[in-house]
Amino acid sequence: MTRQFLRRLAALLPVALGVVTLTFALIHLVPGDPVSAMLGDYAAPADVAQMRHDLKLDLPLWKQYGGFLAALAHGDLGQSISQREPVALLIREHYPATLELAGAGLAVAIMIALPLGIIAGADAGGPGDIAAMGFAILGISVPHIYLGPLLMILFSLDLGWLPLTGRGGFAHLVLPAVTMGTALAAILARMLRQSLVRIGSADYIRTARSKGLSERAALLRHGLRNALTPVITLIGLEAGGLLTGSIVTEMIFSWPGLGRLLMTAINNRDYPLVQGCVLTFALSYVVVNLITDLFYRAVDPRIRLG
Amino acid sequence: MAHGNRESADIVTWAKAIAYAAIVCLFALSGCAKPAPLASPGYLQIDLPTAPTAIDPRVTADAISSRVAELIYDSLVRIDRTGAFAGDLAESFERPTPTEMVFHLRRNVRFSDGRPFTARDVKFTYESILDPATLSIKRAGLVELAAVTIVDDYTLTMTTRRPFAPALALATIGIVPRDSSIPGKAASPAPPGTGPFRLARFARDEAVILARNPYHQSLANAVPGLALKVVPDPTVRALELSEGICGFAENDALQAELLPYLAAQPHLRIVRSPGSTYHYLVFNFRDVRLRDLRVRRAIAYAIDRDTIVASMIRGNARVATGVLAPENWAYDGNVTQYPYDPAMARGLLEAAGYSAHARPLRLTYMTTPEGLRLAEVIQAMLRRVGIKIDIHTNEWATFYSDLRNGNFDIASSQWVGIGDPHQYYEIFDSHMTPAAGGNNRGDYSNPRMDQLVEAGDATIDPVVRCAIYRDVQRLSAADLPYVSLWWDDNVAAFDRRLTGFEPYPNGSLLSLAAAVFPTENRLVRTAP
Repeated sequence: MTRQFLRRLAALLPVALGVVTLTFALIHLVPGDPVSAMLGDYAAPADVAQMRHDLKLDLPLWKQYGGFLAALAHGDLGQSISQREPVALLIREHYPATLELAGAGLAVAIMIALPLGIIAGADAGGPGDIAAMGFAILGISVPHIYLGPLLMILFSLDLGWLPLTGRGGFAHLVLPAVTMGTALAAILARMLRQSLVRIGSADYIRTARSKGLSERAALLRHGLRNALTPVITLIGLEAGGLLTGSIVTEMIFSWPGLGRLLMTAINNRDYPLVQGCVLTFALSYVVVNLITDLFYRAVDPRIRLG
Repeated sequence: MAHGNRESADIVTWAKAIAYAAIVCLFALSGCAKPAPLASPGYLQIDLPTAPTAIDPRVTADAISSRVAELIYDSLVRIDRTGAFAGDLAESFERPTPTEMVFHLRRNVRFSDGRPFTARDVKFTYESILDPATLSIKRAGLVELAAVTIVDDYTLTMTTRRPFAPALALATIGIVPRDSSIPGKAASPAPPGTGPFRLARFARDEAVILARNPYHQSLANAVPGLALKVVPDPTVRALELSEGICGFAENDALQAELLPYLAAQPHLRIVRSPGSTYHYLVFNFRDVRLRDLRVRRAIAYAIDRDTIVASMIRGNARVATGVLAPENWAYDGNVTQYPYDPAMARGLLEAAGYSAHARPLRLTYMTTPEGLRLAEVIQAMLRRVGIKIDIHTNEWATFYSDLRNGNFDIASSQWVGIGDPHQYYEIFDSHMTPAAGGNNRGDYSNPRMDQLVEAGDATIDPVVRCAIYRDVQRLSAADLPYVSLWWDDNVAAFDRRLTGFEPYPNGSLLSLAAAVFPTENRLVRTAP
């Protein structure tokens, strides 16, 4: 098990290399120039040339790439061109906020999805199912950009229970987490419901029923565990998406996360910062998927880490 | 059955565990966060649409960073509300020769850490900017500066390489104490300044908190500090204003569509004042079709700018006649005007050999996603006279790259913070083409224009200079390298209890240093 886990960890290396190579190529291929963004409209050509030299942007692309990889091998992500701070420091400042938001969003999603999915699955076609799935459709349909301000108006402005924006304590986290988590909760609840309905016709559930268990008891006692496997797969995939897709929520709630940092870096063609942010996102995605695999194993011992 | 019960108990336990783990995770994550209030009570909260990238005045590049920096740093001279230069750290100044400026500095001025201010700090600041290691955007603006010479602790001279009329603009950079570290290499994001505020906290992408500089004289009841909070979403900024969480927002922080809502809030006051931000369309003279004045004039006549200003911008702008706004000392509005006249536009196009059916004129129009709505309106207006426009939108960096490289037929853009008419040299002189690193992005060339704008830079006498720029404005309106669209109004929305705010044409927040705001305001509403 440990060996398998370590093997998966080692597989992160080629993924990281692929991501940095792709990011490096893409950001250098699109038009735009960090020197123009930094020196502005009135820069003299000599100053532009000097700065390109100082930042080693005048070197052939393969040499820049080699230099970037060599620095990365020493754990150096470089210096942000626009913010004049080490990229690692900027990521260290912003990543906890993104992690906090994504984690809280996921927690909210699970807390909503489990009861909803079970109610709908156990009462397929009944009023509980209709109500739960109605909520699910609503959750999927309402975009963050609309739900966020709606929650703000209700809970911050009208009721005065929660702060409007910014990052602080638990109270600051609730609204962005609910905004992030609602759509995912809806997807997870629908998946759990479908999974429970499908399992309802399985042989072992029929056996359980024939032994005298009620429809609902047979499904919940014997079917739920198996029904959760695809849900966990989905949680793994979506958790990575939560980390990388929090930009809209970060904008609405003035949340100082990595998504906003990346957007600013792209606009400024801040090559080192873009590369650092994308690498962080990509590695996070891979690690989250690894954790998902571990969860699989806990739920279904037949699954082994590949 | 016993086995079934045990298994179901396992499942329930397991499901509970997931739910509990989620709850614990939520609390643990929130526990990691620091539940700190944004700022001390009594501070005035100002919402900003984007975060300042730097505070150090030697490297500030964007408008928001500059707005914040000027609250912390004084400069030798400052542009006042009428657009004229006024003494700041310089008590007085004179120009004994066309290439020399002498500044007499104020005495008993201290930086916010208590260090006294002298001429050596000024010299250090300029040398630091000119040092290539600083990688300062402001170095390019000092190309005309030949030397900064200390006469004594409170007198210094600046010498320019040639007689350079707008030389006082060189003295508008914020001054930092000598021996301040290079930006990005220091522990603090900004050295101390002599301005009304000092940097108390810089939370990147969150907020900049400014407290009073203890060594700067201020009114006893003036605001004790400013909390400049970054709120990227325009609707949320409007909500914060309407709820009294935010006390002040202006210009880019206010979306035109939300102004009627804000105006309807009884506790808010909306103040509009003339602004100098200039919106325009630039033609590319590399394209042979656009070199034809009749085509450029046809396009100018085909655009209904009054309707655009009234509907799209909701009246928060004035239709422009040229680069300089009417408040500028060199402004002349007696130039060729292009009122909406589609019939005239069609006639000019026909005279130039274009017709909607036989030989339609098809042009590419470059803009950013923010400029798309305007582009679509202009596309519809030009279609009526038989011109087809292909709109290309790119995010800012790509658009800017295309603009700088002359990769467009028509492009829409804006100039922010225009003060001195020297700007005409930057954008219309034939030596300032993109190939030469300049801002004459359409490669416009007219020897008469070159002669005028170069004379405008070299003439010190303001009366003669004003006459030169009158001719420049008339020639540019007749020649049409740009179609002038509008000048943005400055719009500020703030709590009615706030007194002392005075709008500046360039959007400066400096008057807030003397503003008074009752301490019982609801600055930061926290959760109960």
